[in-house]
Amino acid sequence: MLGELINPYYLQVASFILINIILGLSIYVTLASGQLSLGSAGFMAVGAYTTALLTTNFEVPLLVGILAGVMLAGIFGIIVGIPSLRLRGVFLAIATLGFGEIVRVFIVNTESLTKGAIGISGIPQLGREILDKLEVIGFDPEILGLKANQFTFLIVFILLLIIVIVLVCFFSRQKNSRVGRAFSAINMDEQAAASMGINVTYYKVLSFTQGAMLAGLAGALYAHVLSYISPADFTYHKAVEILTFSVFGGSEVVGGAIFGATFLTLLPETLRAISEYRYMIYGILLVVMMAYRPQGVIDEQMMRWFKRRKGRRQQHGTENK
Amino acid sequence: MVLKINNISKQFGGITALSNVSFSITEGEILGLIGPNGAGKTTMFNMITSVLAPTSGDISFYDEQISGLKSHQITTKGICRTFQNIRLFPEMTVIENVMTGSHCRTKSGVWKSVFRTKSQKQEEKEIYDKAKQLLETVNLLKERETLGKNLAYGQQRRLEIARALASEPKLLLLDEPAAGMNEQETVELHRLITKIRDMGITILLIEHDMPLVMKTCDRIVVLNFGKKIAEGEPKAIQSNPEVIKAYLGTEGDDDIA
Repeated sequence: MLGELINPYYLQVASFILINIILGLSIYVTLASGQLSLGSAGFMAVGAYTTALLTTNFEVPLLVGILAGVMLAGIFGIIVGIPSLRLRGVFLAIATLGFGEIVRVFIVNTESLTKGAIGISGIPQLGREILDKLEVIGFDPEILGLKANQFTFLIVFILLLIIVIVLVCFFSRQKNSRVGRAFSAINMDEQAAASMGINVTYYKVLSFTQGAMLAGLAGALYAHVLSYISPADFTYHKAVEILTFSVFGGSEVVGGAIFGATFLTLLPETLRAISEYRYMIYGILLVVMMAYRPQGVIDEQMMRWFKRRKGRRQQHGTENK
Repeated sequence: MVLKINNISKQFGGITALSNVSFSITEGEILGLIGPNGAGKTTMFNMITSVLAPTSGDISFYDEQISGLKSHQITTKGICRTFQNIRLFPEMTVIENVMTGSHCRTKSGVWKSVFRTKSQKQEEKEIYDKAKQLLETVNLLKERETLGKNLAYGQQRRLEIARALASEPKLLLLDEPAAGMNEQETVELHRLITKIRDMGITILLIEHDMPLVMKTCDRIVVLNFGKKIAEGEPKAIQSNPEVIKAYLGTEGDDDIA
């Protein structure tokens, strides 16, 4: 019964949506403190290649490989983030774009290590690995009425969904806290933020590094979902695509990245015919958004409106907090 | 001695904005810093808060050297300011603006914020209550859910003061708080400033509104072209020939003009 409902293709698309949400979040976090980074494709490559090389060459467990990818992306985030403190707006975007290209060119040219432009194949697949572990303890997907490959797609989807839910909770809570207020204060007026006692350097590097780690995580997961990566996955186009998720969906709120990534991943899948013109559509979308709704489809005002409605409904029930 | 300005000079390229200015502020005092436009008053504020570094001289706060510290460290020490051209956080609500002011008096980092620990919740509640109290003081409690940018001009000025107070300063620097206010608002501002002093906060006030300065300040320092030309009680300043000359010019000046 369950077996008929589960279509690997849909699950695959859903998994990509979830990975793209993580990428959208990485832009959101960096933008929260007013920094426009186009380095996400580069950080993604760092995460993906770290785990791919560790797991294929040294048979390191997946979890360790992924964590190593995230950490290394974070370290690169700090290294790029500190000198970038002097840069603002477009200049920061160009510098981070440069970083992304350096990473890509480095990967292409160190063939002995990364196999260059050919890419790395045979990366352990997340779903497969989990199934293998479960089979050792005597689990059989047949119990759920699923074929092995249906189960692997399903388990990957569930795992990614859990990761995304955890991350969304993490960043929504961070936003409504002392740290989140510091980020938005810096975003709105750096000098005023400093004179309110906010350590601007610390929070800017923090937000940049969080963004880098998220992109690294997305890259590492991408490698283990697809089991094949090549430098072509992490080009300049990817950086712009990631930026579009957040800018289209709304860069002020966590929900914006979710909406943007979901909508823009589904669009080329549902409308096969336009898939080839994807980047053209992204370009048009960006121009139109910048002109008419620079804050993105979902903005703070919209969230506040929802909150107020919710608040009003709650007030009918209970009094005061 | 709350603040001691010792022989401060500041040069921008070839232009001397301040030269060898010294003065000090004692506890619980309201000191006025006045002078014609371009006299170097805001430059002085910027050096006290480390936005600019002095070319020479030093500044001490409760007998501790503070020149060379970062802006945010100065605020943590207990000096907070408002700006001549209001610098609120425009997209934050009024209460969020004030809560942001409490930043340097709170500690919760990323993990505490994300796990909503007991101490973090406690802290959030405390600064929320304190923010409400401060908004009551500046008479903005009703507007607490309004966005900063949607407030009227006079309200924005008062919000900026509340935000500064949230950082629990020992010394508050006010940069032209009455600019753009009408008479009624200026009267209220006078009351607010004395109320803040009664809270035990020392105040350094830059202001062009002379009646307000004369009424509010205990002592006044006058700057002109980067030099201190007078210091004393309001009455004495009002009749000081140097000051009158700086503000109104002399007959000799008229001849040249």
